[in-house]
Amino acid sequence: MMEAALWLFDAVISGLLTAIGALPFEAVEAGFIRRALLTVLLVAPVCGMVGVYVVNFRMAFFSDAISHSAFAGVALGFLAVSAGLAWVDPRLTLVALAIVVGLLITAAKRRTELGTDTIIGVAFAGVMALGIAIIRFDPRFQRDFASFLYGDVLTVDQADLRIALLLAICVSVFMTIAYNRLLLVGLNLDLARTRGVATRAYDYLFAVLVVLVVTATIRISGLLLVTALLVVPAATARNLARSAGQVLWYAAGAGVLAGVGGLVVSIGYNIAASAAIILIGVALFGLSLGFRADWGRSAR
Amino acid sequence: MATRDADAAVRMRGVRVALSGVTVLSDINAFFVQAGINALIGPNGAGKTTLLKAMLGLTPFSGHVEFAPDESGRMPRAAYVPQRLDFDRGSPITVTDLLCADRQRRPLFLGASHRAAAQAHEKLRLVGADRLARLPLGKLSGGEFQRVLLALALLGDPRLLLLDEPVAGIDMVGEQLFCDLLVQLRVTQRMTIVIVSHDQSFVTQHADHVVCINDGVVQCEGNPSKTLTPDNIRRVFGDHIVLYDHGPHGHAHAHCDEQHGCGHSHADSHGHLHSHSAVPQEPNQA
Repeated sequence: MMEAALWLFDAVISGLLTAIGALPFEAVEAGFIRRALLTVLLVAPVCGMVGVYVVNFRMAFFSDAISHSAFAGVALGFLAVSAGLAWVDPRLTLVALAIVVGLLITAAKRRTELGTDTIIGVAFAGVMALGIAIIRFDPRFQRDFASFLYGDVLTVDQADLRIALLLAICVSVFMTIAYNRLLLVGLNLDLARTRGVATRAYDYLFAVLVVLVVTATIRISGLLLVTALLVVPAATARNLARSAGQVLWYAAGAGVLAGVGGLVVSIGYNIAASAAIILIGVALFGLSLGFRADWGRSAR
Repeated sequence: MATRDADAAVRMRGVRVALSGVTVLSDINAFFVQAGINALIGPNGAGKTTLLKAMLGLTPFSGHVEFAPDESGRMPRAAYVPQRLDFDRGSPITVTDLLCADRQRRPLFLGASHRAAAQAHEKLRLVGADRLARLPLGKLSGGEFQRVLLALALLGDPRLLLLDEPVAGIDMVGEQLFCDLLVQLRVTQRMTIVIVSHDQSFVTQHADHVVCINDGVVQCEGNPSKTLTPDNIRRVFGDHIVLYDHGPHGHAHAHCDEQHGCGHSHADSHGHLHSHSAVPQEPNQA
């Protein structure tokens, strides 16, 4: 079963890579550029789509806390490996710790009357301190952190591509099922509940979805810039969209444009891909401000 | 309409709600009449919103809330119009988006379903908000937004409609429209309506049943014209409150002609509870 799924995934990935290779550009002759481009094409629109509700629910700080928990998550993985648990993969401990942190924040938000930013602030401090404590514990770990800090889309391997494809499928399915309900949840929790929406389930499910997107995107953008990939295209889309249906497409489009544009710029001018992607994303946001016509009343 | 317990659509027995250790409702025993307008009144902080939320199951409570089954023998569908909703005004959600999001399974980014859009349009027309259909929610005035929320509540044809101060901060025209609509819904759809209101003239003229709460318990309930005596008003709102009706219809007048909806003008017969007014008028003696 598992093997059949992997075979199918690999077949889809090699098909897509072949298609990218057929593009009339010299750069796509290099395998690493084809893989980088495919990763960006899979992950950037996903970030944009999820970003729509990250912005709606004001979860940018949540996303930051989750991405920064990667420090501690990876450090724990390295610690486990050096303690003799050779089967532990730091990429998995990263995701596991991030899910735990995401669920704890969501539970605390629901069960206490503390402000959400306060709860996240505490969680953020806790995971950062834990990460730093472990890094100090053994300086050998330190050199491996650069790729987590800044990301490196030009070195993605087959495993990264499988994760990106899985993520794209999961997010597409989730958004198709949950999009309308999340809209009601974002408007008002009590109202959503009286309209029959299982608000608690959606709260936790969306938190886990954001965790998965953030942890998978760290590979591209690094943990310092991952929130930008979620927030910037969605913010751009809010400026352009005229309905709740349009905003998702604009966000995905802005993500793809920034992702592909950033990759091209990064290869052409030899600058970090993550930085180039975000810079183009921010420039698109700046442009979108000019299109933010005063719609609504005048449209009557 | 007689307000007997036997007509009850909802019955609350010994309902108690504590929020973060503070008792908001200590012992609520009340009923709400079927296919009637039930007014819930009381001073600020009396627990009116909490009572509605307990009825909707939005807040945990002890005690019993019993619903009379609807025509098909099931628990009646309930809908809620919340008070002054705080929401993200920058979000690109149109009025139609909101109503369709409630009605259709297909995600909005794949387009609106014809059926959902038709239902949305029907309810918007009912509340006189069809011209708002394509506007973003953030551009609506307070009164317009309340009407849209009412349209949302009416989707799915509820048997029980709970409204939390729906006309607070709405202009006279909007208020009149809202009031006409509720009377119409009560008559044409035999809907049970529970409304939190500070508008005394609305309560005396349109409510079939009034429930007054303060200090976490029901102070009095029954037919408005019999219940809202000066003694009871004082018990609910305190010593410095008198009923002051500054319109021509200051006399006891329980409800308006159902055929004609609100037969009076809200603009000139507008009763409110005022603290310590100069000319106390005998309120609504039965």
